[in-house]
Amino acid sequence: MSDDPRFTPRAKDGRAPDVFRPGAWVPMRQHSDDDEVDFVIVGSGAGGGTLACKLAEHGFSVVALDAGPYWRPLEDFASDEAEQSKLYWTDDRISTGENPLQLGSNNSGKAVGGSTVHFAMVSLRFRPEWFKSRTMLGYGFDWPLDWREMWHYYREVEDALKIAGPITYPWGPPRPRYPYRAHPLNAAAMALARGCEAMGISWTETPIATLSAPRGLAHPCVYRGFCVTGCSTNAKQSALVTWIPRAIAAGAEIRDLAMVGRVETGPDGLATGVHYHREGRWRFQKARNVVVAGYAIETPRLLLNSANARYPDGLANSSGLVGKYLTVQANQAAWGKTEAEVRSYKAPPSLAITEHWNYDDDKDFFGGYCYMSQGPLPQLWANTQLNAHGLWGEPLMSEMQDYNHQVGLKIVGEMMPQERNGVTLAEDKDQYGLPIPRVSYSWCDNDKALIAHSLGFMEKALQAAGAKDIWRQEDDTCHLNGGARMGDDPRSSVVDADCRSWDIRNLWICDGSVFPTVGGVNPSLTIQAIACRTGDRIRQMAASGAL
Amino acid sequence: MTTKQAGMGLLGSLAVGVLGAALLGRGRAAPPVRQRLLDILALPPPVARQVKRLHAPRLGDTPRGPLQRWLGIPPSPAIGRAARVRAARRLNRSAGLLAGSVLLDSALEHYRGSFRNPAMYTPLGVSALSLAASLHGKGDRHSGRHPFRSAIYAAAAVTGILGTGFHLYNIMRRPGGFAWQNLFYGAPLGAPMAISLAGLMGSAAEHVRDDRPGMAPRIFGLPAGRMLAAMSGAGILGTVGEAGLLHFRGAYHNPAMFLPVTMPPAASALLLNTALAPARRNRWITRWWLRLTALLGFAGVGFHAYGVQRNMGGWRNWSQNLLNGPPLPAPPSFTGLALAGLAALDLLEDEPDA
Repeated sequence: MSDDPRFTPRAKDGRAPDVFRPGAWVPMRQHSDDDEVDFVIVGSGAGGGTLACKLAEHGFSVVALDAGPYWRPLEDFASDEAEQSKLYWTDDRISTGENPLQLGSNNSGKAVGGSTVHFAMVSLRFRPEWFKSRTMLGYGFDWPLDWREMWHYYREVEDALKIAGPITYPWGPPRPRYPYRAHPLNAAAMALARGCEAMGISWTETPIATLSAPRGLAHPCVYRGFCVTGCSTNAKQSALVTWIPRAIAAGAEIRDLAMVGRVETGPDGLATGVHYHREGRWRFQKARNVVVAGYAIETPRLLLNSANARYPDGLANSSGLVGKYLTVQANQAAWGKTEAEVRSYKAPPSLAITEHWNYDDDKDFFGGYCYMSQGPLPQLWANTQLNAHGLWGEPLMSEMQDYNHQVGLKIVGEMMPQERNGVTLAEDKDQYGLPIPRVSYSWCDNDKALIAHSLGFMEKALQAAGAKDIWRQEDDTCHLNGGARMGDDPRSSVVDADCRSWDIRNLWICDGSVFPTVGGVNPSLTIQAIACRTGDRIRQMAASGAL
Repeated sequence: MTTKQAGMGLLGSLAVGVLGAALLGRGRAAPPVRQRLLDILALPPPVARQVKRLHAPRLGDTPRGPLQRWLGIPPSPAIGRAARVRAARRLNRSAGLLAGSVLLDSALEHYRGSFRNPAMYTPLGVSALSLAASLHGKGDRHSGRHPFRSAIYAAAAVTGILGTGFHLYNIMRRPGGFAWQNLFYGAPLGAPMAISLAGLMGSAAEHVRDDRPGMAPRIFGLPAGRMLAAMSGAGILGTVGEAGLLHFRGAYHNPAMFLPVTMPPAASALLLNTALAPARRNRWITRWWLRLTALLGFAGVGFHAYGVQRNMGGWRNWSQNLLNGPPLPAPPSFTGLALAGLAALDLLEDEPDA
């Protein structure tokens, strides 16, 4: 039998891998499939991992299933881009539309801890107005959440992840001091800072989920730079090394290599548990509540695929909005070369940021964007040159000679939610025999206007910072959100503010797919804040008998 | 976790402290343990070892308490040549500790900065010379100032001021200018003043040693004891600022990181009080607090050694983590300054109005 965690589950026999010690284990409470647990959670990333921790700490019995392997970063991760693509969700998917998404590296993950195992760690709060963007800014949809309450939960997550951030944040209402201090800027971040200062806008150190001081058994960041291919030192505060160890210590069970195929409902229309595939066979875990936390493609896919006679359009889909309004974020970049060496791959890639255009409303388009310094690893950079300029062979070789001099700025930009963008089921089947998702995406005019504005501005900023040979990378997108959005009205949303589905009261959705709009910042902090809030709300509802 | 950390840090510190004490106490022909301990703690020598007094005890000396008697502290004697030399040699020792701390710290940090600017070699040379001058002074039982030592100490004092200018320039030319990011990670603003302090302490040693019959020792025209107390008090405050800034950078992740921003400020306040308050013979709280602060300087090395261990690869990866972790040579600055404060107390207790 193989001991490769990609093929053999590690979390079983009453123990789970100890992520902090090579080869070691921690004891884990285990449930049998026939135990009707309080909560079965599908997915263990920013949404599911966080919620598993909160619910277990509130005393509920919890089983969290993840389709991916259970890594020990200290021994399983290599400083090698190709090897580390094992962290991405690369199962078959059909990507279509006018601007089909490139799925894999920067928008998915298949591991215990989800895509936080290889996220860029950028941990930003939403601009308060975005929670009411329809009312206050005139576009998109209002969230059913109040920003002040979210401010409280942001704080909880920032403290749980010991976010390293600036002493004072230049934009938005005051926030408490970040638990850890900002990291030193690398040369790429200094280039962003110089550009901003020349353009007369504010910049700051990016609040980032990698340690700037020791924490328990985790070491501070060594600026190795392989962040987005998996941190091998545990400095990165992913769900795998934060929420999940806490969840296990509080009595939760994590099951790796457990792919959920269907949510089952009973004669009363309530969810009764989930069918999942593990160790070569389909099994059924009974549960009093089911939480779907598979992110913006797998969550709608699972709900749609769980259709039955009672719910022919899929679960929680009386509004018809499951799989609709998938909204990604723009991820365009401007690149240039500088005289001095930059070596931008040193240290976390996005150490400096400006949110200026998130908070400035004097623009001729809706939404906003932030931009950050960049640090592409060599293979990614060669791919970028190939895709953008068609370089190959000798020209690619000579271009790569300038790798140490590359400097770039990249946006995370708000795209508009559109009904036509979304997830449906295709005819084709994957390795589990489940219909694969078809993901359709098209940009609207507002998206294009935002992208044009950002590229123009970043070009000028790069020029001001002294870069030459500036060019635009125009086709990239990142983070997936929406597809099962939250709202105040069962007719126009899938879940309520507590992430509880309007249709089935013991079915919950807790991940980025509940976002009605996406804002111009990376979503992970908001996903975790929502999960913390949901955990607390579930405890309150349980106490008052409203569960 | 935190308790375990603190415990390990404490054990390490004790080990290093004992080692440091052993090193400091070396150089004499194996005196008895109690005497050596008294010496380390900068106590006045026991009566038996005491050099012959030039003056008899004055009227009005306070009687000795039992603890004082056991420790062999004499009733405050009038100042004499031997007492001056003793105080001066203690100051040489303080200056030497500070210079040694600067030598190692600047070597480590400037190596880390790849000696990008040739001026970065300066503190190494100057602090090495100051260390040599201090060792020489420590061994010198003669009264009267030494011209070479005086010159070196003066150069050290000037170097610190110039270095602060260089460091400020480095901070200001980084994006953001005078901002937290650059105070944390640019050239450390407070560090060069440590070499100035070594220079000042050394200069003070030469002043105190300078023996003019019938005159009380003076520094810059002011009573030496009070002046020294003020200088070491201010020096401790400056060092607290530096430790406070860098421990804030480390987010005080270990509760022990609060020690150097709580204990030494109290020592500093006591010293400033000593400098300004009416003459008083028995300042035992100040004395003990300074001894604790001196010990904290050594303990800090132990804590920092544990901090190095907490970086990726720990001590196995020493070549990176010595540069990356908390600086081992930094905390003994507190020891040097606390010992200078103790020397000031000695002067004051020898002659209350010195």
